[in-house]
Amino acid sequence: MAVQPRVPMREQNPAVRITNFMSVPLGYSSEEAVTEAKRCLQCKVPMCETGCPVRMSIKDIIKLIADEEFEKAFYLSKADNAVPAMTGRVCPQEDQCEGKCVLDKTGQPINIGKLFAFVADWARKKDILEQIPEESNGKKVAIVGAGPAGITCSVDLRKLGYEVTVFEALHMAGGVLQYGIPAFRLPRDVVDYELSYLEKIGVDIQLNKVVGQNVDFEVLKKEYDAIYLATGAGAPRFLNCEGEKLKGVYSANEFLIRVNLMKAYKFPDWDTPIICGDKVGVIGCGNVAMDAARCAKRLGAKEVSILYRRTKQCAPARAEEIHHAEEEGIIFKEMISPCRIFGNEDGWVTGIEMVKTEFKGTDKSGRPRPVNVEGSEFILEMDTIINALGTTPNRLFLSNVPELDTYSWGGIKVDDNYMSNIPGVFAGGDALSGGSTVIDAMGNGRDAAEAIDKYLNNP
Amino acid sequence: MKHTITRKEDLNAVDYVIDVVAPEVAKRFRPGNFAVLITVKNGERIPMSIERAEGDTITMYIKRLGKTSRELDTWNVGDALYKVIGPMGTPPPLKKYGTVVFASDLVCGHAENNAMCRELGKIMGNHIISIQSFPDKSLIYPEKELAKSVSDEFILCTEDGSVGRKGHYLDIMQELLEERRIDQVFAGGGIPPLQKLSELTKKYNVPVYTTVRQIMVDATGMCGSCRVFIDGEQKLACIDGPMFDGHKVDWEAAISRLAMFKNKEAVAMECYNEKMKEVV
Repeated sequence: MAVQPRVPMREQNPAVRITNFMSVPLGYSSEEAVTEAKRCLQCKVPMCETGCPVRMSIKDIIKLIADEEFEKAFYLSKADNAVPAMTGRVCPQEDQCEGKCVLDKTGQPINIGKLFAFVADWARKKDILEQIPEESNGKKVAIVGAGPAGITCSVDLRKLGYEVTVFEALHMAGGVLQYGIPAFRLPRDVVDYELSYLEKIGVDIQLNKVVGQNVDFEVLKKEYDAIYLATGAGAPRFLNCEGEKLKGVYSANEFLIRVNLMKAYKFPDWDTPIICGDKVGVIGCGNVAMDAARCAKRLGAKEVSILYRRTKQCAPARAEEIHHAEEEGIIFKEMISPCRIFGNEDGWVTGIEMVKTEFKGTDKSGRPRPVNVEGSEFILEMDTIINALGTTPNRLFLSNVPELDTYSWGGIKVDDNYMSNIPGVFAGGDALSGGSTVIDAMGNGRDAAEAIDKYLNNP
Repeated sequence: MKHTITRKEDLNAVDYVIDVVAPEVAKRFRPGNFAVLITVKNGERIPMSIERAEGDTITMYIKRLGKTSRELDTWNVGDALYKVIGPMGTPPPLKKYGTVVFASDLVCGHAENNAMCRELGKIMGNHIISIQSFPDKSLIYPEKELAKSVSDEFILCTEDGSVGRKGHYLDIMQELLEERRIDQVFAGGGIPPLQKLSELTKKYNVPVYTTVRQIMVDATGMCGSCRVFIDGEQKLACIDGPMFDGHKVDWEAAISRLAMFKNKEAVAMECYNEKMKEVV
């Protein structure tokens, strides 16, 4: 039997979208969503669900969409996922649900991410909300960090009746959803709407609370029955090479925070500026690198290159992001590694010295290991360099809680139940892993909520 | 939380002082900490020194310099800032040093001067010398805002000699270091004089903590914009500083990086001026 092809996603034309920060995918219409959902084979054993870190009822949700029961589909997706409109847009579906879809073998898996985004958007437009848990079970949990792990844990615990307070250091909740992922991938009205759900179900979000600095961790320990640390991995890694102090060298975090959190692309209507040159080099090839490169393009850069020491086939970035980047004219320079950055008398970047790489064996991650080809150094002229080399756990929080057991690289140590060495203090998300995906952090938040519930009911 | 302005007074033609309600910041403030201000919803996150914390309020000296400081200057008592966050930063050790000098100049550092002298003076055995340097008579602060009352010796100087001693704090420091035993120097202000002060104190083998002002965005250790290079090692002014051992700071990098957004700051100012013309 021939498989019906995927219902294509309508997208903004690349030539137009590089001039704005609006969503690239335009979303399914109801008809398109139903057609796409009807392609689902409704497998007896839905492998897609085994790939989902938050264990969504994918098969049943798709069936409900196929039956045009959008409201029910929304309730069912919301049961396991506090923010489906966001995850539908930013999950690496090709490695998770869609990667496990039987139709993946045909190259046309069900477009699960876009279907879930459709359902959540439909509910947002109709202002449909889930039932709100009212009564409290009398126990209080503090959550440090309003990113994906913290948000998910807070919602699950609130649904179980806990009084939940989330402490967020920045002036907006959302963590990486707010400061990291650009609006063209995750529109801000979607973020605002999904986060407002937390307040609607009675999660207390306290912004500008830097635990350890203006909120005493000891006081939290006294006032709450349990604490969940979801402080994330916000500290940027640098190359530690010559020239990194030059003007025009950014960490991807700085570049993205200026653009996404502080709206530098609206300068001077918004006060935070950004300087993006004509020739931009982004070091790294993960999703963050794609985000930074695509932002640079939208800020008017004439030539934006990804500088990567492997090939894009073994890059950590999602296939869709690489595809979108290529459509937008981002240049991929593969099998090269940075040596040093140099600049002019005024301290501005003018170029970067790179060395060619070749593959020799495999590394710990199982990917081919790039080694430098001696004597193959060459120079690329650049006026902006963005380091997208990954991040490490947030040092500020850890320095204020020295009694917390951590690994040498800063990750918080926990037991099988996500509990740290401090009784009643749990941890999760990127603060444990040192950096992963939104949905993995959310899965972690769900598991921790379960563990916290168990702990508080069997003290 | 409403961060209401409870006092606003002119210090001179370019500086003003405000008291703002920020109980969390006030409660945990230690000299050497700073606050992050967001004046309006679409504003920047700007780091600001704190002169004192009393009850629920913090006191800050602000220079009419760029767009944000001028916009804030149009506000009055009763108006509220959008966000005040802190205390941020890691203060240097506040302990018994012996004879301590705190120097600040026309650019800034006077808030830290007052706060530090006040605190270090409370610690038994510290002899506090405060030097406050201004361009001329018209630009000094009113007496009640100077560090005179919280220091054992107070030296006011102006570069043109119109009031107090003639010269910059660097000239006074040179004399002090030649004539007396100084155990520890602290300083804030313009970055080039701090570099010179660091060279000077190094020559006399006297330790110095300097406030290394750098451009911050989130100010929570996430963006790396405020990176400073200490003995070749990268540190962040927002969480490791902003006060560092002046003898170890890479001053060229600090001076260069601080100027990164100069042109953009001018654009912001221009646009603000245009907007204000329309209002008038």
